[in-house]
Amino acid sequence: MTGCTGTKKSIDQSLLTDTVSSIENASGSENAEGQGREAQNQAVHNKELQDQKIQSSGIQSAEIPSATREIFAMDTYMTITGYGEQCEEAVEAAVAEVERLDALLSVGSEESEIGQINLTGSGHLSEETAMMVEKSLELYQDTKGAFDITIYPMMALWGFTTGNFRVPEEEEIAETLKLVDCGSLIYDSGTRLLTLGERQGIDLGAIAKGFTSNRLMEIFEEYDLLSGVVSLGGNVQCYGTKTDGSLWRCGIQNPLNPESGNVVGIVQVSDCAVITSGGYERYFTDEATGKTYHHILDPSTGISADSDLLSVTIVSPDGMLADGLSTACFILGLEKATDLWREKSDSFDMVLVTTDEKIYVTEPLTSCFSSKKEVNIISGDK
Amino acid sequence: MSGKAESGKKRDFILVVVCLAIALVGWLFLHFTAADGIKIQVRVSGTLTAEYSLSQSGTYEIHGAGGGTNLLVISGGEAWLTEASCPDKLCVGMGKISRGGQSIICLPNQVVVEVVGDESEGSVDFITGR
Repeated sequence: MTGCTGTKKSIDQSLLTDTVSSIENASGSENAEGQGREAQNQAVHNKELQDQKIQSSGIQSAEIPSATREIFAMDTYMTITGYGEQCEEAVEAAVAEVERLDALLSVGSEESEIGQINLTGSGHLSEETAMMVEKSLELYQDTKGAFDITIYPMMALWGFTTGNFRVPEEEEIAETLKLVDCGSLIYDSGTRLLTLGERQGIDLGAIAKGFTSNRLMEIFEEYDLLSGVVSLGGNVQCYGTKTDGSLWRCGIQNPLNPESGNVVGIVQVSDCAVITSGGYERYFTDEATGKTYHHILDPSTGISADSDLLSVTIVSPDGMLADGLSTACFILGLEKATDLWREKSDSFDMVLVTTDEKIYVTEPLTSCFSSKKEVNIISGDK
Repeated sequence: MSGKAESGKKRDFILVVVCLAIALVGWLFLHFTAADGIKIQVRVSGTLTAEYSLSQSGTYEIHGAGGGTNLLVISGGEAWLTEASCPDKLCVGMGKISRGGQSIICLPNQVVVEVVGDESEGSVDFITGR
């Protein structure tokens, strides 16, 4: 990816190049937090673009209407905020879409599309579910099996689907592991017919929120909003810049000490999803041994992923990709995640926090990432 | 001679007192105006139910959705939850918040406690992975 700014269809590229020369003179100072100059320049770009857009829509920046809704859906807490003349309608439509997708995808409900397929072993997918399944199969290939939606029976075995946690016996894990194999799914993209293997089950939970935030960006566009941002249980995706033209400041939860409420660093972005996965998010402690198990299960072992990473943050204009990759890269670990990024560096960037408490950031993102700690740069070349 | 020295000492003393007084007033001004704008919002099922200044200590009971309760403590410029009726008590483990964008969430009670009105450099719009 090119760093911190995705491209919104409404941004006129010719306008960008026109304003570059004047901007480089305009913003020479770096602020105290050590934020890169490029991010500032980009912010100035965006401000001019935003101003022009605001002027053309005939309202002053001081009085941009805004609407925010909070909802509890998809087993998490969400906020949806939009700025623009039709913000109320857009946010209402966004809430309705979240509720519709929640009903469609919930693995907990036998009436949902996914619930039905898990029950009967096959089914014709709706357009949305098909998009998610197709992306999941693609991610399965790209991540060499680290991303696998057939992990569902294993999630159920550990109790992560119900909250009735328990540590399974080794034989149970070995037995269930036979069912975790995305390669056994049969999918026909023409008819959208998905057939599971014997006793297999799927869970789209690892990309459903990313798919949803992508959809909400489309809704914001349909309603011609100037700016907007959604947080779906800590998965952030923003539309445009902030209304003053500056970039959204997105803090990354400190996985070393999640209870402190501190952030490990700040990414400044526009038109991007910023999605973090970490073992600190959902876990339980086995009372007998005192050992902690988290919810990101490694499809190759059937046990909580035990890589050298504490958290992975993916920055990408594609929320669904960011969501899936944050889970997959967490399982892959520093070295394999780096290899994956080098292959696909045009589609995403990442911030990794390792178990030895180091921060790694991919090179294009360094200009818009700031941290009080030392930052190691992952470059495109080995 | 000694009288002159006495009054000189007295003047020095007054000067020191005045300086200290100015410093104290300045410190109080900065201390309270800086923290005064920062508020703690309590929202239940998306509706604002209470708002407290982060600079004023206190303990408040929050009545969540479905009859659940959480106990909010504000002290020393930080806010946190100490008790909750929910089974998982994840919110109690979420620690203390004091900067813009930080929040504590109790899903079962649909309670959100959030820091608002912090415009300082280190504040963020959102926290990912929380």
